[in-house]
Amino acid sequence: MYQKKRKIRLILLVFLFCSLLFSCSSKEAKKGSVLIVGVESNPTNLDPRLAIDIASLHVIDIVYNKLVKKDKHSNIIPDLATHWENPDDLTYIFHLKKGVKFHDGTELKAEDVKYTFDSIRDPSLKSPKRSSTAPLKEIQIIDKYTISFTLKEPYAPFLSNMIQAIVPKHIGMDKKKNLSLGPVGTGPFKLKEWVYDERLEFVSNKEHFQGKPRLDRIIYKVIPDQTVRLLELEKGSIHLIQNSVSPDMLPRLKINPKLKVIKEVGINYSYIGFNLEDRILKNKKVRQAIAHAINKQDIIDNILKGLAIPATGLLSPSHWAYESRVKEFPYNPEKAKRLLDEAGYRDPDGDGPEPRFKIMYKTSQNQIRKRIAEIIQEQLKGIGIEMVMRNYEWGTFFSDIRSGNFQMYTLTWVGITDPDIYYYIFYSSSIPPKGANRGRYSNKSLDRLIEQGRYTLDPIKRKKIYSEIQKIIAEDLPYISLWYLKNVAVMRKEIKGFKLYPGEQFYSLKDVYIK
Amino acid sequence: MRKYIVRRLLLMIPVILGVYTIVFLIIHFIPGDPIDLMLGETARPSDREFLRKELGLDKPIAYQYLTSMLRAAKGDLGRSLHTNQPVLETILKRIPATVELTIGAMIVALMISLPLGIIAALRQYSVFDNGSMFFALLGISMPNFWLGPLLIILFSIKLGWLPVSGRGGIEYLILPAITLGTALAAILTRMVRSSLLEVTKEDYITFARAKGLREFMIIVKHALSNAMIPVITILGLQFGSLLAGSIITETIFSWPGIGRLTIQAINTRDYPLVQGCVLIISLSYVLINFLTDLFYAYIDPRIRYE
Repeated sequence: MYQKKRKIRLILLVFLFCSLLFSCSSKEAKKGSVLIVGVESNPTNLDPRLAIDIASLHVIDIVYNKLVKKDKHSNIIPDLATHWENPDDLTYIFHLKKGVKFHDGTELKAEDVKYTFDSIRDPSLKSPKRSSTAPLKEIQIIDKYTISFTLKEPYAPFLSNMIQAIVPKHIGMDKKKNLSLGPVGTGPFKLKEWVYDERLEFVSNKEHFQGKPRLDRIIYKVIPDQTVRLLELEKGSIHLIQNSVSPDMLPRLKINPKLKVIKEVGINYSYIGFNLEDRILKNKKVRQAIAHAINKQDIIDNILKGLAIPATGLLSPSHWAYESRVKEFPYNPEKAKRLLDEAGYRDPDGDGPEPRFKIMYKTSQNQIRKRIAEIIQEQLKGIGIEMVMRNYEWGTFFSDIRSGNFQMYTLTWVGITDPDIYYYIFYSSSIPPKGANRGRYSNKSLDRLIEQGRYTLDPIKRKKIYSEIQKIIAEDLPYISLWYLKNVAVMRKEIKGFKLYPGEQFYSLKDVYIK
Repeated sequence: MRKYIVRRLLLMIPVILGVYTIVFLIIHFIPGDPIDLMLGETARPSDREFLRKELGLDKPIAYQYLTSMLRAAKGDLGRSLHTNQPVLETILKRIPATVELTIGAMIVALMISLPLGIIAALRQYSVFDNGSMFFALLGISMPNFWLGPLLIILFSIKLGWLPVSGRGGIEYLILPAITLGTALAAILTRMVRSSLLEVTKEDYITFARAKGLREFMIIVKHALSNAMIPVITILGLQFGSLLAGSIITETIFSWPGIGRLTIQAINTRDYPLVQGCVLIISLSYVLINFLTDLFYAYIDPRIRYE
C-alpha cells in the first residue's frame, strides 16, 4: 500500500515537472506595429559598398536610399536624386533632394555621394563593385546639392551603375566606426540591434524624407531551414517570408486560412549553358535538338508548380528592352531526333539501349535543380542522348563552371538590370575571369552589336540594337532559356501593403502595416 | 598522476597538429575560390588579384600553412575572409550556444536513459525491458532532420506549448535538446542496462542482498556506481561529438552554434574560419576525453594513472 502511494506520488511529481517545462510556451509575435520577417541567412556585411549577398541587400533596402533606383520595368527612377541632366554624352549632373537626413541627424550632401563613389573606386576598400566605376573619369561637387560625374567615354549603362546606396562621409572616414556592422543610412528604418545569426531589429526612422513608416519596428529573424520557416509562419511567430519557398509546400500554404500567398513574375532567369568548345556541343544542330527535347512547360507545371513562366531570353517580358519575336524551340522530340540525325549523330540501335552519345550535365546540390535534372535526363534519353548528371557543393560547382570544366550546366541569372549584361555574358573576350562567357561563345557580328549597345545613348536606337542581339542569341543557342522564376511572398492575412519587386527588394516594407 | 597528466597534455600537441594540417590541406585543395565567392563574378581581374594579395592567398601553400600555424600557436587565428572579424572572437561568441545545447542534450539523454536502463535491467525480459529496448532502437534509428520538424509540428504547431526555433529562455532549448539528446539516450539506455545486468550478477551485490539491504539502496549505492564506468566513457566521447556534430539540429532550430558557423565557413571557403572552428572543436574533443579519463580515477578507486 505504502509503495503504491509512493509510486502515485512519483508519477504526479514527474507530471508536474513536465507540465512546468512545457507551460513556458512561446509568446506569439506581437501584433500592432512590429513585423517579423523570416530570412534564410545572416547578412555578411552591412556596408552597401561591400555587400553582395541577398541577406545583406535586404537590410540595405530598408536602411539606405540609393542615388537612383529602378522601377518594375527596370527603368531608372530618382531616389535620393530629384532629377539628373545629361548636357553631353560624357556628363551626368545629379540634383539631390534637400533636407534628407542620415540616421545620426546629419544632412545628406553632395560630398557624401562623392565620398561613396570615390571610396568604391579606391582599391583599399576592396569593394566588389569597383568594376562598375571603371567608366568614371572624375566626380565633381558643383554645390551642396549638385554633383557631376564625368565619363571617359560614352557609356549607356552608366545610370544603372548609379543604383548605389549612399553612405555618410563623416562616418565612413571615422576609423572607429564600422559601417559593415553598424550601418547609418537615410532609409525608413534604423538598425537597432544585430544578434549575429539570430536576428536583426530595426526601428522606424521618423525623420524619413518620404514620411514616417507605418510600422514601428521590423525584426529579421534568421531561420536557415526552409520547412521551419514555414512552420514559424503557420504558428504566427513570424509574419512574412519572401521566396525560397519550396513549390511543394505551396498547396499547403494556400489552403491555410490565416495565410495569403502573392506571386509575380520576377527577373531571375534560369538557363542551361553549353560549352561551345566541346566536340559535340559546338554543333548548333545538337544544341537545337536538345532544346527541342526539353519540355519546359511540363517541368514548370509539375516540379515548379507553376512558379515560373517559360523564358525566351535573358531579359524578362517586363524589361524595357525585351524582344518577344525571337526563335523558339518548342517541345518536339521527333524534330530533335531528325536534327541529331542531320548532325551526324544517328542512333546506333534505333530504340535500343545504345545512346547516340553521352553528355555530362552539372548542377548544384539544390534539391529542385536535382529533380529538374532528372526530368531533363529522362527527356534527353527519349531522343537517344545519355545524360550523366553530376551535382556538386556550390563552391566546387562554381569553380568548375568558371574554369570551363563542363559540357552542360544549369544556373540562374539574378538581378538583371541593364541589357549591357550581354557584354558580360556573350562578348567574345568576356571569358572568365574577365567576364561570364563561360561557354566560350564567339560571334563577331554580335560583338559589334554589343559594343554599339554600350555606346548608344538614344533609348529607341538602343532598344533596336538589343532586339537584334536577342534574336541572334536565340538563334545561335549558347544558352537554352528555361524560365523566369516567379517571386513569391507568403504572409499572415493581417499584413497589408507588401509588394513584390522583380529584383526581390524589400522596398515596400516602409508601406507595410498590420491590420 | 602528475606525470600522467603532463604526458597526456603533451600528446595532445601532435593530435591537434595533425588535425590542423589535414583540415588545411583539404580546405585548400577542394575546388572553389574564396575570391570568387567574396567578390562575385562581376569583379575585375585586377581587383581579384589585389584582394588575393591582400589576404595573402597569392603566397605558396607551404608559406600560408607555416604562417597560419605560427600565428595559431600564439593564439591568433587570423581574421574571417568575409566579415574581417577576428576568428577567435567569432568562434567564442558561438561557443555558449553550442555548450548550452550540448548540456541540454546530455541532461535529456540522462533523464531518459538512467530510469529506462535501470528499470530494463531490474525487470529483465519484462514489458518494461522490451519497451525500453524498443525505445532504444527507435531513438537510434530516427534521424535528427526528421525528428526535429516532427517535434516542432507536435509541440509548437499543434499544442502551441513551445517556440518553433531560435534561442532565448529554457523553452527554446527543450526541443533542440530532445532532438539532439534522443539518439544519445538510446545508446545510453542500452549501455546502462547491459552494464547494470553485469554488475548485479557480482558477488558483492548478492552479499548486499543477503545482508537484507533495500533493493533501491543496493542499486543506487552499490551497483550503479560501478555500472556507470562504461557509461561515462560513452558520455565523454559523445559530449565531444555533440559539440561538433549538432549541425543539423542547429540548422533546424536556427540555433546560433559553432556547427552552423563551420558549415557557413566551408560554403564560403573562409579558410581561417574553417581552420579556427575545426581547431577549437578538436581541442575541446581531446580535452573532454582527457577529463573523462581523469574522472575514471575519481569514480573508480581501482584505477590509478602512473
